[in-house]
Amino acid sequence: MKPRTLIGLATILVLLLGWYLATDLAGLIDRQRFPSPGDIMAAGSQIINRGYAGGTLLTQALYSLRLVVLGFLVAGVTGVPLGLMMGLSRRFEALVNPAFLLVRPIPPLAWIPLAIVWLGLADSAKILVIWFAAFVPAVINSYTGIRNVDQTLVAAARVHGASAGRVFWDVLIPGSIPMIFTGLRLSLQASWTTLVAAELVGAVFGLGKVLSTAYRDIYPAMIAVGMITVAVLGAVTTKILAIVERRVIRWRET
Amino acid sequence: MAGNLTAVRPGWKERALLSLAGTAIFFGLWQILAISALVSKFVLPSPAEVVIAGLTMTAEPFAGATIQGHVLASLGRWAMGFGLAAGIGIPLGLAMGYWRLLDAIVSPIFEGYRYIAPLAWVPFAALWFGTGIGGPVMVIFTGAFAPCVINAYRGAHLVEAHLTEAARTLGAGGMRVMAEVLLPGALPSVVSGLRVSAGLGWQSLIGAELIVVSSGIGYVLVQGQSNLAPEIVIAAMLAVGLTGLLIDVALRFVESRIRQRWGQTA
Amino acid sequence: MSDIVFEGISKVFPRGGSAFTALSDVSLVIPDKQFLAIVGPSGCGKTTLLRMAAGLEIPSSGIVRVGGRPVNGPGADRAVVFQQFALFPWKTVRENIAFGLKCKGMPRAKRNKVALNYLELMGMAGTEDNYPHQLSGGMQQRVAIARSYAIEPEVLLMDEPFGSLDAQTRTLMQEELIRISRVNPRTVLFITHGVEEAVYLADRVVVLARSPGRIREIIDIRPIREGEGWDKLASEEVMEMPGFGHLRARIWRLLRREIQTSSLDLPKIN
Repeated sequence: MKPRTLIGLATILVLLLGWYLATDLAGLIDRQRFPSPGDIMAAGSQIINRGYAGGTLLTQALYSLRLVVLGFLVAGVTGVPLGLMMGLSRRFEALVNPAFLLVRPIPPLAWIPLAIVWLGLADSAKILVIWFAAFVPAVINSYTGIRNVDQTLVAAARVHGASAGRVFWDVLIPGSIPMIFTGLRLSLQASWTTLVAAELVGAVFGLGKVLSTAYRDIYPAMIAVGMITVAVLGAVTTKILAIVERRVIRWRET
Repeated sequence: MAGNLTAVRPGWKERALLSLAGTAIFFGLWQILAISALVSKFVLPSPAEVVIAGLTMTAEPFAGATIQGHVLASLGRWAMGFGLAAGIGIPLGLAMGYWRLLDAIVSPIFEGYRYIAPLAWVPFAALWFGTGIGGPVMVIFTGAFAPCVINAYRGAHLVEAHLTEAARTLGAGGMRVMAEVLLPGALPSVVSGLRVSAGLGWQSLIGAELIVVSSGIGYVLVQGQSNLAPEIVIAAMLAVGLTGLLIDVALRFVESRIRQRWGQTA
Repeated sequence: MSDIVFEGISKVFPRGGSAFTALSDVSLVIPDKQFLAIVGPSGCGKTTLLRMAAGLEIPSSGIVRVGGRPVNGPGADRAVVFQQFALFPWKTVRENIAFGLKCKGMPRAKRNKVALNYLELMGMAGTEDNYPHQLSGGMQQRVAIARSYAIEPEVLLMDEPFGSLDAQTRTLMQEELIRISRVNPRTVLFITHGVEEAVYLADRVVVLARSPGRIREIIDIRPIREGEGWDKLASEEVMEMPGFGHLRARIWRLLRREIQTSSLDLPKIN
């Protein structure tokens, strides 16, 4: 095993040990504010088995996951084509740009209150905000991706008699895919961040609800359980996206 | 450039016209939608109403202060969190780039922390540091921290080895190497990291203010929402966007000046 | 005193599965204030030797001593002039030269003065406020040399310092180096590909063999140099002297044998 990995593992072990000692054993840190590993495990088993804030961990996690995936997919399906079209046609870009520029600087989270005014605390409000957060990176990166396709390749295709359509599908799209996936990765990240925020602001169910209820109950161990779950789900979904990406881009060494 | 399929590229005049048309269409549709009976006034105010609401708030306090007052309160928190993130993150990133042992120790912790959405820290931040200034500042810090470290780290790696070697052969100790070789050498990377970090910090701030706070532009958003006054909400959203844009423009300017001053060298 | 002593130096680099022996049991003494040049084919380990003396590389076995003290890291007593100049692009010429003095804690006014002195010594007065990228290669290398000289090191380690210069600038720089060395003599270890450069500049020339790196022969230039009075001549006149040609041929013959044992690139004959 490489020395670097060893040191990394050692550090984590030392930290975990220190944490356990400071909290469970010596009681050095106020457990009202900072949970011990034991507390976290207890909270974890509580929410997994008996539920908390309205449901078990599984149901809450799936609920949030569903929202993220929906918002992400809609954003991808709408954002990528828009970005590609803006990259292809300068006329179209000129037309759409003003609206885009006006809306773009507004942080996605700032849309939450408006979404609540429009749609209340329903699922659709959250999907709307997630869609918005994930939309922007998808558009921008698809746009950059298609703009940066090597013009020599396009010329080569034309010279062989390729029609505009063929140039698009066989040269431009494959050439843009790496950046499209970069955009999708950013979209996914943004989706999770926005979901957590949206659920913290106002939710009836989901991981954000777990977090805000735990906060109100002053139950730091449960807060930690919620955060860990979010992190794990985030890592898992990112990994899945990476696997999809690798299958699609088999021709490219990353 | 372009994946342009049309043979003739539209000139700037044509594009300006199209942009104007696009703007007109955008506002026109908005206005029509707002005026029509399709959507209630409590849902979509007209552009005019938004402007009026915004201007009113510059004169009359809403939810405790004028809109400028709220923006300034938010900027203050943002500046503190951002300053902390840069002040700790940049030296850390540089040091990790220079000392491999430190890199090996800190990296796993850092990678783990990166996966947690910054706003997921809000409950703990509020629990530990309160909901006035401390909590939001911590949330901003969490959001702004990662790009500072990463860009400083990458920048340090870009500094050519013989520059640090030259410094050491001239008698420079570790701190001096970091301050006088790594930092200037990594600066282009550090500054563009600062830009990303500033943006993320601003976003995290807004998020934090939506959840736990009693002043600031995020609070205005929440109050507008609970008063069912979407014109206030939209006006505040535009204020948020504008401020974020100004921060970004300012940092872009700084970034380009620095690149100019030091020529092409890394 | 500041002599450089290499005692039984070996250096092995791990390369994937196997190991590459760069240097094998090299022992060499450079007495105080002597100018020693090392020539050899590419990959013979000459740069590695220099880096060990600088403290930038650790021997696999053996010890390097400078002034009697073992070397365990870089320091201002052994200044290095790099082939790529290694000037700090974000500092002005003056700030670059003054850098080592700053590390020593010299106050600003004083170190600026010292820096300007060395700049004048290099014949570049007036450029102190320029940035490196505004100067030509030759000027940059002169600043690099001034920077090393300014800290008044006991030992000067020069790694193909004129390698990236064009032939004409190189000749002028060689003459300059001789001039300053007469004014301020110190122990110098000079690495080069160029046989003529080595013969012209050095007191002694070491020819290094390759794979593994070891000393093939050491040639003393001084008897011929003093006999023919090179110090009073311009460089082109020196190179016409019979003694010079004889030494050059002899070293080149040694090198040729080293190179032709495998087919890597040839050293320049400048």
